[in-house]
Order: sequence, then structure tokens, then C-alpha cells
Amino acid sequence: MAFLFFLIGRGAFVRNRLTTFLLILIFSLFIFSACNSNPQVYTIADTTGDWGFPAPFTHYNRGPGYVRMSLIFDTLLWKDETGNLVGALAKDWEYIEEEKAFIFQLRPGVKWHDGEYFTASDVVFTFSYLKKHPYSWVDTGVVKEVVALNDEEVKVYLEKDYAPFIVNVAGTMPILPEHIYQNIDNPLEYTEEDALIGTGPFKLVDYNKEQGTYLYERNDNYYLGQPKVERLRFIKLNEQMIPQAILRGEVNAGPVPPEMIDTFKEKGYTVLISDYNWNAKLKFNLRQEPFSDLRFRQAIAYGIDREKLVNISQRGHGLEGNPGFIPPDSPWYYPEVEQYEYNPEKARELLKEMGYGGETLKLELLTSARFSSDAELIKNDLEKIGISLEIRVLDDKTVDARTQEWAFQMVLSGHGGLGGDPQFVNNMVLGGSFHSARYHSNQELKELLEKQLTIIDVSERKEVLAQIQKIYAEDLPALTLYYPNSYQVRDNQVNLYYTLGGLASGIPVPLNKLSFIE
Amino acid sequence: MGRKRIIDYLLALVIVISLNFFLPRLLPGDPLLSIYGEDALITMTPEAKVELTRRMGLDKPLWEQFFNYLSGIVKGDLGYSYYFQGPVLDLLLGALPWTLLLTGLALIISTLIGFILGVESGWRKGRLADQGLLTGFMFLNGFPDLVIGLFLLLLFGVVLGLFPLGGAMTPYSQLTGVSLLLDVLHHLFLPLSALVLTEIASCYLLTRTTVVTLLEEPFILTARAKGIKPKNIRYRHVGRNSLLPIVTRTGVRLGRLFTGALFIETIFAYPGMGLLIYRAILGRDFPLIQGVFFLVAVVILLINFFVELIYPRIDPRVKNNAY
Repeated sequence: MAFLFFLIGRGAFVRNRLTTFLLILIFSLFIFSACNSNPQVYTIADTTGDWGFPAPFTHYNRGPGYVRMSLIFDTLLWKDETGNLVGALAKDWEYIEEEKAFIFQLRPGVKWHDGEYFTASDVVFTFSYLKKHPYSWVDTGVVKEVVALNDEEVKVYLEKDYAPFIVNVAGTMPILPEHIYQNIDNPLEYTEEDALIGTGPFKLVDYNKEQGTYLYERNDNYYLGQPKVERLRFIKLNEQMIPQAILRGEVNAGPVPPEMIDTFKEKGYTVLISDYNWNAKLKFNLRQEPFSDLRFRQAIAYGIDREKLVNISQRGHGLEGNPGFIPPDSPWYYPEVEQYEYNPEKARELLKEMGYGGETLKLELLTSARFSSDAELIKNDLEKIGISLEIRVLDDKTVDARTQEWAFQMVLSGHGGLGGDPQFVNNMVLGGSFHSARYHSNQELKELLEKQLTIIDVSERKEVLAQIQKIYAEDLPALTLYYPNSYQVRDNQVNLYYTLGGLASGIPVPLNKLSFIE
Repeated sequence: MGRKRIIDYLLALVIVISLNFFLPRLLPGDPLLSIYGEDALITMTPEAKVELTRRMGLDKPLWEQFFNYLSGIVKGDLGYSYYFQGPVLDLLLGALPWTLLLTGLALIISTLIGFILGVESGWRKGRLADQGLLTGFMFLNGFPDLVIGLFLLLLFGVVLGLFPLGGAMTPYSQLTGVSLLLDVLHHLFLPLSALVLTEIASCYLLTRTTVVTLLEEPFILTARAKGIKPKNIRYRHVGRNSLLPIVTRTGVRLGRLFTGALFIETIFAYPGMGLLIYRAILGRDFPLIQGVFFLVAVVILLINFFVELIYPRIDPRVKNNAY
């Protein structure tokens, strides 16, 4: 920086008075203009900023976009801190098995932000509107018919017993005001003010796409109680600057790197640890030898030290992968599955049994740059069991495309979505996406997976999921290596938390609107 | 400028537009997936996927997409961004003012200071001032904008606390008029300084080298012999003659103005084209990628055109094809 003074000095040297004058002017202006911050404003920072106009059809299709919308729009049901569904627009609900129908008792006296009363016909309207204009976060395909029994009761008939409905539809679908949305033919491009009339705890005051900022004010008439803060503000900051801004009090909450959490703890801030919603996963090309052989996949599982991966590549900020796939903090987790403790001896035996005893086996591992240190550790581990791994690092999208086309041997990549309804297990085993193992050769597993979707009773469903996890760990369609942690820090003004299992259909963002309600 | 040249420019434009359409489509990766993200796709039904593909026009044959793209350009419609869910033109117009404010000012300031320092330094070749400047700028030239930006931010933003930690203005401060302007300048100062410091060195070095070469020329000796004041020789004779490479360089830089400064924008969380392009490429947002590159290509062609027009005015020898 001495250079800048040097420059000013040189300015005099060239006798360019104008430059010198301007520099001094600019400098003095800056020193006099100070930032001011309003104490009634609660500020949350993130690194992306812009997540789209926060109406249901215009927010960007990422979790934080949905969350910004969820402050304005309510769903029938909503999750509390522990992931339990509590009433939002519906205060009670029941399932009538014989009719395959849910009845929702709606909360009386709820008003839209424009003063109109919310009624059962808004709910009926929302279902029919979503059939016409698909909303990518909610699949209403399973809904046969929706009927308003009276102003405060809605009956939803399903095509079949479908367990994910309660979280993925009733707990995720924003209810739209009929009197407004009935006139909106192209909701994807509609960004007028009235597209933002909801029933939620906040109303939008301003959204600035370029600056990536949002300003909300509270809805004083919110039916669950008046929100604690008058105004809520979202701003965009560089990753490294967010901790600084929190320490200075300019920001109340935001993401911080793992290295800084101790500093914040010492200073009395609250550190929020994400649940294990995301996993790094090793996938096999099940259409090829030797990967199609169960023994080979098991050998790999024994041959990779997953604990070491967490300790070295994640510097301890994560959790060792569960061979049964479902993360241990999930209510659906079943612990008694084969754990494949690190055992290179056993791995070598299995390979020998397959006939790979003598010469080294040469294989290729495809991955992207973010996993390169994991890949190196895996390469070292596998060398010890007689597999020589060649690592190919490509750009994320290319890795995904090659996985989709089965143009790989083994792939190391990752995906989220492990928090929501356990339907994700079906998608990740039988689904067609490249994140999925696309594993169809175990008929029993297939049947159990299909069955679990139809069981509405939670404890009964847990039993089926236990069997599924047992088979998954035995068959290893793919191997979960670890679940990383991420951290957010907040001051103690508002009790922000990570909702267990993620918000709505499983969004790992620590901004549940219920935090703002007494 | 003859008709042939204009045809050359049109031809270049056509080639650029075609490349612009086809190149992004050669990128591996499914745009649908990049746009909707795995969170949404995990729960999306096949029917919904088909509907979204149709809505984005991705199911149409390539030639039909190309035709739609061309007819859109003619109508001034650059398409609709998948990811940002808005017209591409609006997105560009939203980011452009901030980018131009930052990179435009940086270009003007760095070129002016670089040129003046270059002339003065070359004139004093070998003396202490020249040696000092030369060493200083050589040193500076080795640093990327990223390093300088981080350094400035850490020192003035974090340690001294004189400047804000990011953004282009204080969000929702309800400032107006002069205080708003001051707030914008306050936020602009660090990223602008970082860009100026990065760019100044190359302009300075280029000018200095040209000046040093020119000083050996006979016409300078003649001017001295005629008894013209040194200051006039320095700027009217040497300065004017060393403008040519600077104009070329500035022309090239002008095109880059529109693509923003990705690293500086990232470090200072400054809104602009750099981040917009980056997100468009990551998201395989074809219409937005095309829109940005179309804009940049047209601007570069226009600038080239104007630079060619300006050349003969600065140096009449160009007109006579003596160069």
C-alpha cells in the first residue's frame, strides 16, 4: 500500500495537480462517510446474494431461493426445529386409509397480506394451479382430487397410498391466493408486487437482483404471533469477509469456514452445525466386470479407510459414511448393517477369491477437482490391496455427463437430499439420474423400495427401511464415503437453527421462519 | 474505409454469432440438471422434466433453435435466461452499469496515469526517478488483480476498517443524493484501486519503452535544435507519437470492459458482468452465455472499427499506407 502514497507523491512529481487534488478529495470523502446500521434490522449474509424474485414460480431453483420465498408464503404443514411437522395453514390433519385421502382442518381467521381472508378454496385452487403450471419443488402427480368440504376443511384424495405426500407436498407446497393467481397466466415471468401476497410472517419491501439484497418487513398480523424482528435483510458478501462482518456486528448470521468456529465460540456466538444432508459417494459401473461382482464392491469397501478420509481430507469436519446410505442423524437410520471396518486383509482375500490374486488390477477413477485429495487417499489405500488406480480429474459437469452415459469405471462425486423423505433412497437406487446407482438386479430390494412409499404409518415404514438399509449395505450399489459438516454462526438475538432433516422437502438452510416467532 | 472492409466486419459478425450459438452446446452436461439442481430433480417427475424441457425449447432440433436465436437477435430479443428466469437483455442491462463504472473508471485512470508516468519516466531514462518507477512497476506487474485486491481489502477493510467489506452500496441505508453518491464511491474505492494498480503497470511499461525508442529518432534531435521547450517536445512530439500503441492497447481493453472483472467482483462481492458470465457458464444457461458473448463480440467489432477510424488522425502515415 505504500505504493499508493508513492503514487500520490509521484503525482506531485509530474506536477499533475488535478490528479493529486482528486486523489486527496476522494480520500477525505471516504473518511467522512461512515456506515450506519439500524438495530431493528436483522441481517443475514451469504456469498451468492441473488436467489431470484421470492415468489413461488420465480425464485431460483435452489434451496436458498425456496427459503426466501417461504418467509412470505405458508404451506399447510411446516417443520419445527426437530423436524416434526406442525400445523401452519392447516392446524390439524388425518389420513383416512379406506379412501386414500387426507383431511386438513384449516386455521380460521387467517388473512392474506392484502387483507382478504384465506379459505379452503385457496387450497383447492393451488392444487389445480400447480397441475397447470408445474412447480419444480412439488410433485402433485399423486393427487387425484381436492375438495373443499367447507371453508375450513379440505380433503385431498390420492391415487394410491403415498407416504412422501405429507412432507413433500403438504409440507412444501406454498399455498397461493386464488384472488390473485387466478389472473396470472404466466407465473414464471410475472414479477409484479401482487405476486408476493402470501400469508407468511414477512412481506417483501425490496429485492435487488444486481446487489443480491433483500429487505423484508414483518407481518404484524401473522397468525402464529408477531415476528420478533421488524425488518429482515439479506446481503451478499465474500466468503472470507462474512466472519469479519459478524464480529463487527454488521451481520447477525452467516456461513463461516470450519477453521473459525473456535474463535466464534470463545466470543460467545452460537455455532450452528449442519445435519448430514450431503454425501461424497463412490459409484461403480455396474454394467462392467469386475464392478458388477458383489465381492469386488465389498473388497473396495473394506479397502478404503473412510475414517482417514474424514480426518485428512475434511480435517475432521464430517462423519464417516454409513454403508447403509441413510445418514446416522436421520430418524430413518438403521444402525445394524454391515459396517465394513477398514480391513485390507479381508479385501485382498475377497479379490483373491475372484481370481485377482496375482498381478495388480489397473482401474480408473473419475472425479472432479473438489474431490482430488479424497481420490489421492483412496488411491493409496487401494494400492495396498493390489489395485492400481489412475485418477482422472475433469470438470464437474463433464464427470456428471460421463456418469450418465456409463462412460466410466468408478466415479467419486457427491449429492445432497439425504434429509427429506426417505423417498430419496428410491431415487438413488432405482432412479435414472447419474447420481443414482441405477441398480435393478436385486428384486427384493426393488420391491421393498416400492413398498416403503406406500406405508403411511411411520413405525411400520421404519421397519421396511431397516430391511432396505441392510440389503443396501450388503449389496453396495454405491459406497457413501463421508458426510461433511458445514457451519453457520449467529449472534444471540434470534434463535436460528438447522431444521432436522432440512426445511420443507429437505433444504439444509438454517433459516426456519418459526425461529422468528415467540 | 471501403466497402470491402464493411463486408469483412459483417462476415466476422456472422461467424461470431454462429460460433456463439454452437460452442456452448458442445459443453458436456444437461442444462436442465444444472438449472434445477439436484435438490429439485431428486423429487421431479419425468412428466415435469419433459414439460420443463419443452418450455425451454431444448426439445426442438438444433437448426430450429438456431433459427429462433437468429430471428430473436434481429428483433433485439436476446432470449430468456433459464437460471435467472428473466430476459437476458434485462440481466445484461442490470449488471452493465456497475461493471462499466468499475472497469471503465479503472481503464481511464490507469491509462492516464500510466501514460503520463511512462512519458516522464522514459524522458528521464536512467535517472533515479526512472529507475525507481521502473522497478516499482515491474514488481507490481507480477501481481494478479486477485492478490492486490485481497491485500487492499485486508489492510483497509479488515485491519484499518476504513472501507466496507463488500458490495457496491450500503444495502437499505435509505441514503439519497450526495450521501448516496458518497456511499457508492466509498464502496467503489478499494475494487477500483485494485484494478487501477493492476492495469497501470502494463500501460506505463508500454509507454516508457515507446518513448525511449522515440528519443533516439532524428525528428526529436531536430526539434531540440530548433530550440523548442523540453516540455513541448515531451508531450507534443514524443507523447503524441507514442500514443499509437496506447490507443491499440486501450481498444483491446475496451472490449474487455464488458466482461467485467471476475476476481475483483468476487473478492469485493461487487455486482457485475464477470460473476454473471461465470454463473451462466456453470449453469449451462445457453441464452445468457450467448447474450453476453454476443454483446462482447459486437462491442469489440465496433471498437475495432472506431480504432481504425481514429488511427489516421493520430498518425497520418497510416492513411498513406506508409506504415
